[in-house]
Amino acid sequence: MTISEIVALAGAVAAAPQPLGPIGLSADECLKCNVCTTVCPVARVTDLFPGPKYVGPQAQRFRLGPDLAPGSGHLSVVQSPDRSIDYCSGCGFCSTACPANVKIAEMNNRARAALRAGRRPRLRDWLLGQTDLTGRVGVLTAPLANWSLRNGAFRALIDLVIRIDRRAPMPRFSSRTLRSRLGGYRRSRWSADAPPADRTVVYFHGCAANYYEPNVGQAAIDVLERNGFTVIVPPQVCCGLPLISNGLYRQARGRARTNIAVLADYARAGYRIVGTSTSCTHTLKAEYREMLDIDDGEARAVAQATWDICEFLLDLHDRGQLDTRFGELDRTLPYHAPCQLRSHGIGLPALDLFELVPGLRAIDMDHDCCGIAGTYGLKSEKYDIAMAVGKPLFDRLRASAEDQVACDSETCRWQIAAATGARLRHPVEFLAEAYEAYLAADA
Amino acid sequence: MARADVAVVGAGLAGLTAAIRLAAGGARVHVLATGHAATHWAPGGIDLGALPGAASSQASIDRLAGIDGHPYAFLAGEVPAALAWLRATMGSAGLDLVGDAADPLRAIPTSIGATRLAAVLPDGMAAALPAWAPDETLVICGPAGFRDFWPAAIAANLRREASWRGQSRPERIEAIAVELPGIAGRHNLSGLDLARLFDEPAWRATALDAMARAIEGRVHGPGRIALPAVLGLDDHPAVLAAARARLPFAPFEVALVPPSLPGLRLFAALRSELRRHGGRLQVGEAVRGTIGADGRVAELRATAAAREFVLTAGSVVLATGGIAGGGIVADRPGSLTETVLGLPVDGPEPGHWLLNDPFDPAGQPLESAGVRTDSRLRPVAPGKPGAPLAGNVRIAGSLLAGQRYLRDRCGDGVAIASGSLAARELAGRPPVASQGSVAAIAGGVG
Repeated sequence: MTISEIVALAGAVAAAPQPLGPIGLSADECLKCNVCTTVCPVARVTDLFPGPKYVGPQAQRFRLGPDLAPGSGHLSVVQSPDRSIDYCSGCGFCSTACPANVKIAEMNNRARAALRAGRRPRLRDWLLGQTDLTGRVGVLTAPLANWSLRNGAFRALIDLVIRIDRRAPMPRFSSRTLRSRLGGYRRSRWSADAPPADRTVVYFHGCAANYYEPNVGQAAIDVLERNGFTVIVPPQVCCGLPLISNGLYRQARGRARTNIAVLADYARAGYRIVGTSTSCTHTLKAEYREMLDIDDGEARAVAQATWDICEFLLDLHDRGQLDTRFGELDRTLPYHAPCQLRSHGIGLPALDLFELVPGLRAIDMDHDCCGIAGTYGLKSEKYDIAMAVGKPLFDRLRASAEDQVACDSETCRWQIAAATGARLRHPVEFLAEAYEAYLAADA
Repeated sequence: MARADVAVVGAGLAGLTAAIRLAAGGARVHVLATGHAATHWAPGGIDLGALPGAASSQASIDRLAGIDGHPYAFLAGEVPAALAWLRATMGSAGLDLVGDAADPLRAIPTSIGATRLAAVLPDGMAAALPAWAPDETLVICGPAGFRDFWPAAIAANLRREASWRGQSRPERIEAIAVELPGIAGRHNLSGLDLARLFDEPAWRATALDAMARAIEGRVHGPGRIALPAVLGLDDHPAVLAAARARLPFAPFEVALVPPSLPGLRLFAALRSELRRHGGRLQVGEAVRGTIGADGRVAELRATAAAREFVLTAGSVVLATGGIAGGGIVADRPGSLTETVLGLPVDGPEPGHWLLNDPFDPAGQPLESAGVRTDSRLRPVAPGKPGAPLAGNVRIAGSLLAGQRYLRDRCGDGVAIASGSLAARELAGRPPVASQGSVAAIAGGVG
């Protein structure tokens, strides 16, 4: 009997809460072929996670049970049969590999949240979800915060008390936020006096570029301005992905609503929203709908207006509108495509852009996942798993002579940099450098 | 938007054959696939054709080529060169293919204790092929507690004479389950887990040692050893060499339920070859396209996170599989739809799709459903072959109408032959228009 049939028999379809929407019910399409397990980077390295099929479509039928409310007579979702789903890193490869279009990763993310629903979140998970709060505090106290995060005794204490691994990579807080450096830019909500939509880009910097890597945000702004765009940076909060990953859906919905309220006005007025964090842009595009069930007209307008920076620049190029006067960058550049980028389903636009830069020889490292998966690899019980997932990539990068590596996601950059000692940069930083090289050669 | 000289839809044997051969010839190739399936499900081995009573694959191919409307009617001549190409490609990845189309079809054991007919197998499975000498013992040996391979059950089934299809068979069959280190109590242990363990040299040595000792204590005299197909994934050639060196008799792998390790190795080798030639492979979403008024498909669209992913291409290979692979779906009662372009599907009349007995030796009529083409693999309307429906499209693999790839075991032969022909057909065509001049690709149909 399929899950849909069980639900229908119980007459519970209307009353069924999530995970019984289209995502939960896609378990019925599963053929149990285990193709998903073959691409799972976590199951590859640990027995603690039995693989996406077992914790996903296979466990899904056990998640149906009598509603916990006495006398309700409805089926609803109960707990997963065991806690192994907590070891899913959420990379999403299972969903892309599935020949039957089962929404395995999405189903598992919801089941993971259900596992934590109704309990107080662990302090650690709560803290890792608040990237905007920690970012604000960290920037204000940058010297102290950076010292502490690199102090062995402090990290050992944190490891012991809240279980963030002492060896896990930590970014450096910037001494100033990106926003504070953009005093001259339009930073307000949409109003009729905003510059024209066709030559203006709304920049979603996310937490990484704002608190840790303002240089990435500056490079994106430089590249966009070089192509004649006016850049505006309206008010924004964390996209909410760290909250989603840590099962804090209610808080994540709050962040999503705040962002949508600002961005939807721009989206409806025809502006494109461009981000440098590929996980933020994927969250705006898909996770508000698929994970948080926010699927109204405003959310859809935002999703459809959102672009990853390299996707946006490649689209410009396709229209013959990208300034291709790049100077020479004579280097071999290993490139790692993050798992969140692949969930966009947009190919590997950074590689196409690198082909336009004279002298730049980009090499796709073709490794599934660096292991970090957002905040997964920071956790004490998962650090070793994350390092084992990324090990083949780290080994090959260490063996190569290249000192710089390109990658579209900040958490991957921090993980790979910590593991290899290489300098990790966003693809757009190389494009900005290539524009500078052209100007320097021209001068 | 992305651009390619050739867009290939489908990452099974047919699609990857076409993609690699085009990329090797210098074309910019982009493969889009909804997911993985064909290679990951396949039992290993290259099935060119295995008709009951046929002496060889070649005899099966010749008979199928005489059937009106069978793809072999125009592809049979392609098979030898395509197989030679695949043999060379796999060989360069350390995965030798043993056997040829002219060799006798042999009954080889399956993991349920039946047999299937095969002639061309990966090296690791090939020791199952030679005829059994009268004094030979077949040892079925697997890890104790592994759910996908039960030596005692396999042996019990194989001891029945009827299992061997009238061919020579081993005189004695022994079942040996061996306790292997570190897997006790692992209820979810899959073939994939075991293969990854075999990839580790230290575990491999201990495991092979335990198996060798168990077999040596029980079986004397000549024999061969059937093992589950778990002898490594990334490091299979080394695992196979170690197994041959340590075990008392020649070992051969027996394919398991999916995911198939021999299939995964085949996929990994082909994927790596595609990348070596600069081809792209993008997996994950449903692909759609439309035939324009000029009789061409100019672009494909794949569902993506928010907007569609658009791939502009000079020409297109459709290798999405048949009804079993998802290239054709029965979306309404009595209606068959080709999923990418909505091409007309030629198949059995509604009401005659399936037989009541799922294991009827006649096979299920529905598997013959597919897209009709001319002899150059261009799609045509069923029943009235005329002008191609799309001049820059080629159909390859199980999507081709008129074959019973499950019953007649011709799927891999059709895949490599049609993939190779599609590549030759599309090689050297005008490349995809460069940026800003899309309109310039008109003409050149056929």
